[in-house]
Amino acid sequence: MTVLHLLENIKHQQDASLTFRRSCRSGICGSCAMKINHLAKLACKTRAKAEAEKHGEILIEPMENMPLIKDLIVDMSPFWREIDRNTPWLVWDEATRDSNRENLLTNEQQYISGKVADCIMCGCCFSDCVSRVFDKNFNGPASLAKIHRFVADPRDKEGAKRVHGLVEMGLWSCTHCYFCWSQCPRDVRPVAAISALRVLSMRSLDPSQGARHVQAFIDSVKKTGMLNEATLYLRTMRTATLKDLDLILKMALKRKAPSPFRRPLPRIEEVRSLFHLCKETAEK
Amino acid sequence: MKYAYYPGCVAKSSAPELYDSTSLVAEKLGIELIELTAASCCGAGAVNEANPFLNVLLNARTFSMAENLGLNILTICSTCQGVMGQVKWQLNSDPALMARTNEALSKINMKYEGRVQIKHLLWALIDDFGLSKLEGQVSRPLRGLKVAPFYGCYILRPPETLQFDDHENPTSLDQLITVLGAESVHYEGETKCCGFPILFVQRETAFDMAATYLNNAKQSGADLLVTPCPLCHISLDTYQGKSVKRKETEINLPVVHLSQLVGLALGVEPEKLGFSKHMVSTARVLRESLQLPL
Repeated sequence: MTVLHLLENIKHQQDASLTFRRSCRSGICGSCAMKINHLAKLACKTRAKAEAEKHGEILIEPMENMPLIKDLIVDMSPFWREIDRNTPWLVWDEATRDSNRENLLTNEQQYISGKVADCIMCGCCFSDCVSRVFDKNFNGPASLAKIHRFVADPRDKEGAKRVHGLVEMGLWSCTHCYFCWSQCPRDVRPVAAISALRVLSMRSLDPSQGARHVQAFIDSVKKTGMLNEATLYLRTMRTATLKDLDLILKMALKRKAPSPFRRPLPRIEEVRSLFHLCKETAEK
Repeated sequence: MKYAYYPGCVAKSSAPELYDSTSLVAEKLGIELIELTAASCCGAGAVNEANPFLNVLLNARTFSMAENLGLNILTICSTCQGVMGQVKWQLNSDPALMARTNEALSKINMKYEGRVQIKHLLWALIDDFGLSKLEGQVSRPLRGLKVAPFYGCYILRPPETLQFDDHENPTSLDQLITVLGAESVHYEGETKCCGFPILFVQRETAFDMAATYLNNAKQSGADLLVTPCPLCHISLDTYQGKSVKRKETEINLPVVHLSQLVGLALGVEPEKLGFSKHMVSTARVLRESLQLPL
């Protein structure tokens, strides 16, 4: 018996006013997303017995990050608004499009964009996104994954240009909490798509604080093989470092303020060789 | 028990108490740690966002070092655990990537064969050492101490790449806390993000995350919070004063490393374990709950 069966039994036998969305009962339509024992899931794919055995109860709540309408139904407008923020459809590149035949992707191209193409827009990732709870400007995992789906599609005219403007939509606000990976009923793994978008943003010389942070990290590892917390902090925060002077002083008194001077690792030349190899590969 | 020890960057920089307390715990339990002194940073997810293949290579190089020693890797940082676990999963499930990686590693005369296991200290204590054996070594049971476990992200998710605890209903930290004689308390947020990954980018958002979960832990009656991740420790301890200030509240919840809590129960003196190194003082809780001076 699934949690959806359970809810239907309650509705039919105990309380006809109980309200929830459902349609396909097969994990395809994404309608019955709700929080089951604190995590967003599809009720039709979730076994009631397994939940009860694992948690000792089955706590059912409406999804988070969206306003409640009634019982288990939320207003998904915030979710759709974020999806709509960046042209969520294929913009054909007419220069390369062959109008006399179907323009198919290769298997490899399909694999790259295919994971996100499996998204059923259920909202589970949006509901469980920790960043979205605290930052309403973050457009959420599904929206960013959708953008990557078209960036990775060679038929799309916009392509990598879609990355421009993503910083304002919260490209660097994702914390990598991986809830969007673990809770996606279709294994879309939006966080991986977000990482891929960040790679592209770095390549297009993104000047934002997020990109600066990653670059400082990379430079530190290249120089010494290790993370230099002090230089990472200074290069990311710049003048905002002043906000934490009290903290830095307190850490120094406790002899735990990271030193900006760090000796390279033994065998650092191996690490540098790997950097060089990757640079060569990227250039090819 | 013998491991190729990978302490990670933070334990050797801004969290020396984590490094020191791990050494003391290992010594007490007879766990031999062969430190991989030439291993590089795992990339902490940041390298992957500039160059995913470099992220794979740096970690595969570390795996190769451990394989050469014929040992599994022991980590004391959830972030290192998460990143290395994910790279190992990628390599072991993608023969083409494995071949490409080994081709690159061959240029520095190294090879990764896919054998190494990567284990966080928490997992090693449960899986390899055994909780009942650990219980037998406890000389100072932490009775009366209410401990809030903070699992965070990288030791639980993504579940496919970690495959240890149940990511939906984790119990590993709770089991350890109980074996040490303390009481584990639950609160909303113990498996959420501490905010560290965006601390230097979206400072206010990170502060709000940390303050919310710290407050929840405090409200649940916790005397202190324990974390298996030094990055969570930075967010929850180092920046606690600043994050709770935004909420206009007073929390003062001490946050300690997993190895410190174990060391305490094994009878090591708090000072040696670095209990005085935290930004939020642990003196009151040690004095009032365990009658220990600091």
